Amino acid sequence: MEYALEMRGINKSFSGTRVLKDVDISVEKGHIHALVGENGAGKSTLMNILGGVLPMDSGQVLLFGEEVMFSSPAAAQEKGIAFVHQELNVVNDLPVYENMFLGHELRKGRGMIDARAMITQTVDVFKRIHVDVDPKAMVRDLDATSKQIIEIAKSVLFHAKLIILDEPTTSLTGFEVENVFNVMRNLTSDQGVTILFISHKLGEVVEFCDKVTVLRNGELVDTCVMTKADGALLAQSDIARMMVGKNVLDVEVYRKRELGEVILSVEGLHVGSAVKGVSFELHKGEILGITGLLGDGKNELVGALFGDEHPTAGTITKDGQTIRPKRPADARKLGIGLLPTNRKENAIIPALSVTDNMTIVTLEDYVSGFTMVRGRETKIAEQFKERLNIKVERLSDLIVSLSGGNQQKVVLAKWLIAKPDIMILSNPTQGVDVGAKNEIYHLIMELAQEGVGIIVTSGEAQEVQKICDRVLVMYHGDMTGELEREELSEESIMILSTGGSLGQ
Amino acid sequence: METEIRIKSSAGGFRQFTKNHGIIFITIGVIVAATIAVWIKNGDPWSFLAAQNFINILRANSVTGVIAFGMAFVIISGNIDLSVGSQMTLVGIITFNVINVTGSILAGLLTAVLSGVALSMICGFIVTKGAVPSFIITLGLSYIYRSLSIFSLNSGGITVGDKAFQAISNTSLGPIPLPILYFFIVFLLYFYISKYTVMGRRIYAVGSNQQATRLSGINTNWVKIQAFALLGLTVGLAAVIEGSRMNSINSSSTGNGYDLNTIAMAVVGGIAMEGGKGSIVNCLFGIIILAVINTSMTILGVNVYLVNAIKGAIIIFAVLLLRSRGKLN
Repeated sequence: MEYALEMRGINKSFSGTRVLKDVDISVEKGHIHALVGENGAGKSTLMNILGGVLPMDSGQVLLFGEEVMFSSPAAAQEKGIAFVHQELNVVNDLPVYENMFLGHELRKGRGMIDARAMITQTVDVFKRIHVDVDPKAMVRDLDATSKQIIEIAKSVLFHAKLIILDEPTTSLTGFEVENVFNVMRNLTSDQGVTILFISHKLGEVVEFCDKVTVLRNGELVDTCVMTKADGALLAQSDIARMMVGKNVLDVEVYRKRELGEVILSVEGLHVGSAVKGVSFELHKGEILGITGLLGDGKNELVGALFGDEHPTAGTITKDGQTIRPKRPADARKLGIGLLPTNRKENAIIPALSVTDNMTIVTLEDYVSGFTMVRGRETKIAEQFKERLNIKVERLSDLIVSLSGGNQQKVVLAKWLIAKPDIMILSNPTQGVDVGAKNEIYHLIMELAQEGVGIIVTSGEAQEVQKICDRVLVMYHGDMTGELEREELSEESIMILSTGGSLGQ
Repeated sequence: METEIRIKSSAGGFRQFTKNHGIIFITIGVIVAATIAVWIKNGDPWSFLAAQNFINILRANSVTGVIAFGMAFVIISGNIDLSVGSQMTLVGIITFNVINVTGSILAGLLTAVLSGVALSMICGFIVTKGAVPSFIITLGLSYIYRSLSIFSLNSGGITVGDKAFQAISNTSLGPIPLPILYFFIVFLLYFYISKYTVMGRRIYAVGSNQQATRLSGINTNWVKIQAFALLGLTVGLAAVIEGSRMNSINSSSTGNGYDLNTIAMAVVGGIAMEGGKGSIVNCLFGIIILAVINTSMTILGVNVYLVNAIKGAIIIFAVLLLRSRGKLN
């Protein structure tokens, strides 16, 4: 068995806290090897040591049998290690081929850029890994998948032998994920490249990877082969159990409830060409899922309910009154809250503390005369810190010092404090680890029991299956189906979200 | 064991203190440097440190200082205003005319404040509705204000007949000239707004992440217009303080250079150009630093043509120093 990478007895401490304890990991050549663990398990630290970003305290790293020690990312790169980070590092205003060669532009003689050579080499790389993207297209015009693929193709261009992919599929759904994995598959089988894949999405890990290594609290839990001796695949719940040390995926979150009267009804809603005549009703205490693949229009649909998009036709009725929220501020006053997608861009106010982020929606509630009373803010923040189990040392710390899951809970808290009648949750567990995910599901269920009407949009079929009473499936702006809880299955969702019908 | 922990935490406390209050050390440094320079120049170690000298420094910079507090809010909200100097001149001319026509100083005061706020709110409206960088809009406005001022007075000046008007800025409360008092009242008011009001909190939020603030159900355009209104209020007050002190406004020279001077005060005071960050207390120190630099160069008799070169160098140095401290921590 030939190993591309062996890391043995890796130790690392930050100011006295051991974040990696004698971690071993061996990656076979030509494999897609998954590395999973909750936030703070030590995945990034381990990969940063491998990529030459951080030094280790003790341990040994063997790359293709040769002992190595990288003092800088450049040194790691030289030895054929490519690190593709979670955030896309592409420049929107440059064509694909210039992005491929960014910082390493080919020149002809006196500093003139050799566009033709760069295009030829780009075409060549794309052909090798079976990618169909126009090298002269502007990156701005590409979808998220193609941007991600360009990042991966870049490492092929520079002859990487070991590619580290840090959550490359976070912003992708269904087919797009498959596309990225097809490219990865081509890389490993045709080019002999080895891939280390960090992910929170266990479905992908099981479906596409050869082996998985699980870390917990800086320690190695186990490395498992994905296909067991009897040919069966490792279960996601097995991996999740190893990650959190307890049975979480099996926990039943859903509880049957009595639904109240209709709180929101949408009639023939159009939003430009993104949403084409969608109608539905939402009851008090109901959890309604809306799902579909990228470009399905679900974001525009909920955007219109929250006043962030402008409907071109149709009516929205809340509590029997027609409403037309022109901006999010109107929606807030109407008792509608939104937990948006992409936390960093849309939900986090980085310069403010945890408390201030929690109270931003309800500032008027803490005022006496003209003056904001700090004590009132702190009191409510303490209360919701307890209720949502937010892990933070001091509430006066900046929100950006929290982990993704805790940040998401803060964002959720700011709306819960406002006590909305209708709460829209867009990708509520995006970039959140397994443990926090379940806590958020429980919270959603609690809210529903209190009678809040809840809309959950998500690209993950599993997620809507887990918590929703009813699911609407969208495809290119049309509602292609409505599934009651009993009818929910990944298969039925997939058929409807690709434009098919269940054919009754 | 216990003592060890205490020592550690007190060291941490000191580091935290210098990190948060580095501006105090820079202020002290600038004052010490100015003292030594003046000492060398005229042989008297106490001439710069005399209380009267500090009163002079503050009085000379009270007008730009007042505007700097307003500028701080606009910068925190993620914008900038390059028109305050000429806006102050135009507001002053309107005010003087109102006083001369109505004979009422009170009417003049109201005019100054209202027209200052109104002009800035219009500016904020254009910036937010047009979604154009405030840099461009306020550059254009500064040309408009200055041109209208010069046109209205045919490039001359204007004075107020009523001598009582001069009392506003030329009276002292004990040893303290009133402009200094106005300056500190504005400081206290704006400090209060920044720390203890809904408006203040929202201005910080908008500057830090506009999109997230909007999606928190806040009308972000209105918040930005409010920040401009706070600046407009200081411009109106500044027009009265300056106009009363000089009892004249010159359509082409009054307020020249005030835009960049007030921006420099705010930025040296740690108000970050990227928005969302900075405190009004630190801004006060930024104003004092610039004030000390302005005045000490006059005392030192630095060649007038060189003053701005030295000032520019000191501003760049001070901001770099603050930045590198921030990064280190």
